[in-house]
Amino acid sequence: MIKITDLEKYYATEEVRTIALNKLSFSVKTGEFVAVMGPSGCGKSTLLNILGLLDDPDGGSFMFNDIEVSGFNERKRAELRKHNIGFVFQSFNLIDELTVFENVELPLIYTGVKSAERKERVDAVLEKMQIMHRRKHFPQQLSGGQQQRVAVARAVVNNPKLILADEPTGNLDSSNGNEVMGLLTELNEAGTTIIMVTHSEHDAKYSHRIIRMLDGQKVTENILADFKSSERPLTTEGGTLTPAEVK
Amino acid sequence: MFINYLKIALRNLWKNKGYSFLNIFGLAIGICCAALIFLWVEDEVNYNSNFADSNLIYTIPSNQKYDGQWRTFTQATPGPLAAELKESVPGIEHSAKTWQSDFLLNANDKSVNKSGWYVDPEYLDIFKLEFVEGNANNALTDVKSIVITQTLANQIFGKNVPALGQSIRLNDAEEFKVTGVVEDLPNNVTFGFECLVPFRNFELENPWTKEYGANFATTFVKLSPTANFETVNQGVRDFVMDKFEEDDTVFFLHAMKDWRLRDNFENGEQAGGRIQYVKLFIIIALFILLIASINFMNLATARSEKRANEVGVRKALGSDKRSLIYQFITESVMTTLIAGLLGVALIAILLPQFNMLIEKQLIMGWDDPLHLLGLFTITLSLGILAGLYPAFYLSSFNPVEVMKGMKTTSRSANLIRKGLVIGQFVISIVFIISAFTVYEQIQYVKSRELGYNKENLLRIPVKGDIVKNFSPIKQDLLATHTVNHMALSNSKILNAGNNGSGLTWKGGIDTEDILISYRYVSNGFFETVGITLKEGRNFSSTIAKDSSSAIISESFAKLMGDDSAIGKTINRWGDSYTVTGVAEDYLYGDMYGTSDPVMFINNHSEARYLYMRVDSTADLNAAINQIEETLAKYNPAFPPEYEFVDSSFNAKFQSENLVGKLSQVFALLAVIISCLGLFGLSAYTAEQRKKEIGVRKVLGSSVVNIVKLLSADFLKLVMIAMIIAIPAGYFLMNNWLQDFAYRIDINYWTFFIAAAMAQVIALATVSFQAIKAAIANPVTSLRTE
Repeated sequence: MIKITDLEKYYATEEVRTIALNKLSFSVKTGEFVAVMGPSGCGKSTLLNILGLLDDPDGGSFMFNDIEVSGFNERKRAELRKHNIGFVFQSFNLIDELTVFENVELPLIYTGVKSAERKERVDAVLEKMQIMHRRKHFPQQLSGGQQQRVAVARAVVNNPKLILADEPTGNLDSSNGNEVMGLLTELNEAGTTIIMVTHSEHDAKYSHRIIRMLDGQKVTENILADFKSSERPLTTEGGTLTPAEVK
Repeated sequence: MFINYLKIALRNLWKNKGYSFLNIFGLAIGICCAALIFLWVEDEVNYNSNFADSNLIYTIPSNQKYDGQWRTFTQATPGPLAAELKESVPGIEHSAKTWQSDFLLNANDKSVNKSGWYVDPEYLDIFKLEFVEGNANNALTDVKSIVITQTLANQIFGKNVPALGQSIRLNDAEEFKVTGVVEDLPNNVTFGFECLVPFRNFELENPWTKEYGANFATTFVKLSPTANFETVNQGVRDFVMDKFEEDDTVFFLHAMKDWRLRDNFENGEQAGGRIQYVKLFIIIALFILLIASINFMNLATARSEKRANEVGVRKALGSDKRSLIYQFITESVMTTLIAGLLGVALIAILLPQFNMLIEKQLIMGWDDPLHLLGLFTITLSLGILAGLYPAFYLSSFNPVEVMKGMKTTSRSANLIRKGLVIGQFVISIVFIISAFTVYEQIQYVKSRELGYNKENLLRIPVKGDIVKNFSPIKQDLLATHTVNHMALSNSKILNAGNNGSGLTWKGGIDTEDILISYRYVSNGFFETVGITLKEGRNFSSTIAKDSSSAIISESFAKLMGDDSAIGKTINRWGDSYTVTGVAEDYLYGDMYGTSDPVMFINNHSEARYLYMRVDSTADLNAAINQIEETLAKYNPAFPPEYEFVDSSFNAKFQSENLVGKLSQVFALLAVIISCLGLFGLSAYTAEQRKKEIGVRKVLGSSVVNIVKLLSADFLKLVMIAMIIAIPAGYFLMNNWLQDFAYRIDINYWTFFIAAAMAQVIALATVSFQAIKAAIANPVTSLRTE
C-alpha cells in the first residue's frame, strides 16, 4: 500500500537547516499494523505528516497504492486524504465548538455523505466505541479516554484504508490507553492498515512490525508477528480510484 | 456542511461574547450610518422623479453677459418667452410661464397663507398632476379658477367634503372657483406649491410682465417624446427674441433631473451643485463601512490562534482550502447579518434624530423592496469585505504546524493588522480635521461683515393695506418704543435680483453691460437695516420731490469716477436721477462673492417688504405681540406674517450647515468605531502578553511601566496615522475651500488639535486594557500558564 524511497524533508530557519528525514525508505503492506519508534526529534511525526498527505517531502518518492503522490497539490491531497486516511492524535484534536456527534460527523460531511446516512453511520460508530450516551456532549465535558475514543470514532467513521496514529495513548492513563490500543487492534483485524508513532514499547507490541528511527533514518526493523498481505484497492466515494483519476 | 458552519459560527460568537459585541456593535453602527446616508442620497437623487415624463421637462435659464462674463439666471425670463419658444423651436411641445407667490386664501370662515404659483394653463400639460377632483384639461382655462392640493382642500373645506366648485377669496380681493384638487406633491420636489392660479391674473395686475425687458418668469417647457435634446437645446440657444437687439442673452434647457443637484453655473456652463455633496457622502458612507470591517478583520486575524487548531483538524479530515474560506466567510456574513439586525434597530431609533439634523422627513420604507435589497446588499458585501482577508489568512494555515501548537501569527499578518489600524485612524483623523475646517469656514462666512445689522431685524411681506397704512403703523409702533425704525423695500435685503444694465451718466465709464441692482425703498430704510451712509444725505421725508434722488453704493460711485459722485446725474431708461448720497457697500446674493453695485431709489409704490428694527433692549415676545396687534389693526384681512432676517441669513447656508453637522457626526462615529477595534485589539494583546506581564511584575516592574509598554505600540500606530492624515486632510480641505470665493486660510492648529484628539482618545481606549492587565495579580496569570 505504501512505498517510500529515499524520502527527504528539511526544516529551514533563518540560520540553521535541520534534516528531519534523511533518505528514508520502507514499505507497508495493506492490512499491516506498523509501529514507528525513536527518540524525540528523530523525524517520526514528520514522517507521519507526509504519509498523511498533510506535508510534502523535499525529495524522494512516496507511492500510495502505486500512485506517486509526492508532487500532489493541496486540493488533490485533500481529496485523497478524505477518502482514504483517518487520523488519531495524541492531543485528540477535537473541535471544541462541536459536539461529539458533530465531530465524528465531520469527515462524512467532507466526503459528501447525505445527512440521513451520516446519522446512521455516526451512530453506529459511536455505539461501537461505546460513547453513544455522550453524543450531545462537547469535548471539554469528556474525560481524556472518552475524548480519544471520540477521536478514534472520527478517524474510522469514513472506513479509511489507512489510520495514522500519533502517540494515541500519550495523554491517557494505562487502562484508557489499553482500551484505545484494543480498539486499534480490532480495526486492524478488520482489515485497516495502521501506522502508529509511539514512545511506548508496550503499545508497540500490539503491531506486526516495529520500525526504529534515529536522526531521520531507519536504524532497525523488528518483525513481531506473522502478517499475510491482502491488497485492497484505493477508493473514492465508494468507487475505485485508478491512478489516472487521481492524477 | 452549511449548517455545520452556522453552528460553529454561532457557538464561537457566543463563546467570545466580548469580542463578538465589539465586532457586531461596530458593524451595526457602520450599517446604520451607511443606511442613513443612502436614504438621504436616495431622497436627493430622486428629487422631482415622481413626475411623469420627468425626462422631457426643462426650465429655461438665461445666460447674460455682463462685463465680459456670462452670468446665469435660472428663474428670470421675459414673460413672452414661453409662447415664442414654443412657436419657433421645433420639438417643444408645451411651454408655460410661471411666477411663484404667496397667497392669502379665505373661504369657509378660514383664512390661510399659502405658497403657490401663477401659471399658464399649459403648466398642467407639462406637469401631469394627479387630479382627485376636477380634471387637467379645463382646470385653469377660466381666469378666476384655482387648483389646490388635497391637504389644502381638507384644511379649508374639511375632509371628505367636495371642494370642486367652492369659492375661495384670494388676497382679500376677488373670488376664485376651485376647479381642481390634486394630490399633494412629495417633499422632494424643487418647485412645490399648494395652489395654482392662472398667470393671466398676475398679468392683469402687472402689465409690465408682457414686456420683453423684464426678466422675472420661470419658464417651463416640455419636449415631444421624439425630440432630440441636443437639437432642441441648440434651437433654444440660437433663439433670439424679435424684440432683442443684441445677442447678449442666451437661453438654454436645464433638465428636470438637474434642478436639484446640478444648479451651479460658472461663466454660463453647468458646474455641479449639491451633487458634489451627494458624492462626498457616498464616499463617507463607504469609508465608515470600511472602518467597521477593518475591526472585524483585525480581531479575526489577531485571535487566529484560537481557530488555528480547528483549521488543522479540518484540513486533516479532508477539508480543502476553498471550503475553509467558504466557512470563514459564512461566519463573517453571519456576524454582519446579526449586526444588520442591530443596525435596523439603530436606524429605527436614530432616524427621527437624523431627520432633525438634516431637516427632512425621510422614512425607512420597509415596504420598499429596494430598501430591503439595499440593506441586504450593504450587509452582505460588508460581510464578504470583512471576511475575505481573515478567511484567506486562516485557511492558509499549515495543519502540521498549527496542530503542533506552533505560533501562527506571522509577521506579515501583524504588519497588515498594523497597517489597517493606521488606515482606520487616518480616515478618522481626516474626518476630524474636515469637521473642524468645515465648522471654521461656516463660522467665518457667517461672521463676514455684511454692511448692515441682521440682528433684531424683522421682515414682513407687504399685503393688503400695509403700504396704504404705512404711516399710522409706523406711528403706533414707534410710540411703543419696541420698534426704533421701519421702512419699505421692494426686495429682500439678503437677496439678489431686481437688476439691470444700460445706465448712463456724464463722465463715467461705459456701463452698458454692468449689472446694477435697483432697490426701491422708503425713507428711513438705511436707519432701519443699518447701512451706513458714507457721503451726502439720506432720503428725506420733508423734501417732497425726493423721488428723483438716488443713493448709490460705494462700488457704484467708483464706477462714476474718482471724484465725489454727489450731485452727478444718472440716466436710467429715460429718467434722470441726482445722486444725493453714497452708501457703504453691503453684502447680498452670493454670501461668498462680491455683490453688484446698488442704486437706491426713493419710491415705495412697489414695496413688497416692510422692515422693522426692533429695539435691542425690548422683550422680543412682547414686541412681536405688539407688532402683530398693530398689523391686525391696520391690515385686518391678512393674518400677520414675519421673519427675522438673521434666520433667513442662516437658512442661506443650508448645504454648508448640513455638511458641517454631518461631518461632525461622521467624525465622531469614525472615531467610535475605530476605538472599538482598538479596544478589542488591546484587550487581545494584554491577554496574549499576560505571562510576560506577570513575569515583569514579579521582577519588579511598576504598573506605570507596564501600561506604557502595552500602550506604546498602539500609540505609535496612531502617530503614524497622524503623519499621513495631516497632509491628506490639508489636501482635501484646501480643495474643498477652493469652491468658496470667501474662505478661511487653513489653520494649522486645527490639524494638531484633531490629531491630538485622536491620540488622546486612542490612549484612553488602550490604557483601559493596559491598566487592567497591569494591576492584575501576577500569581494568577503565572499559574494559569
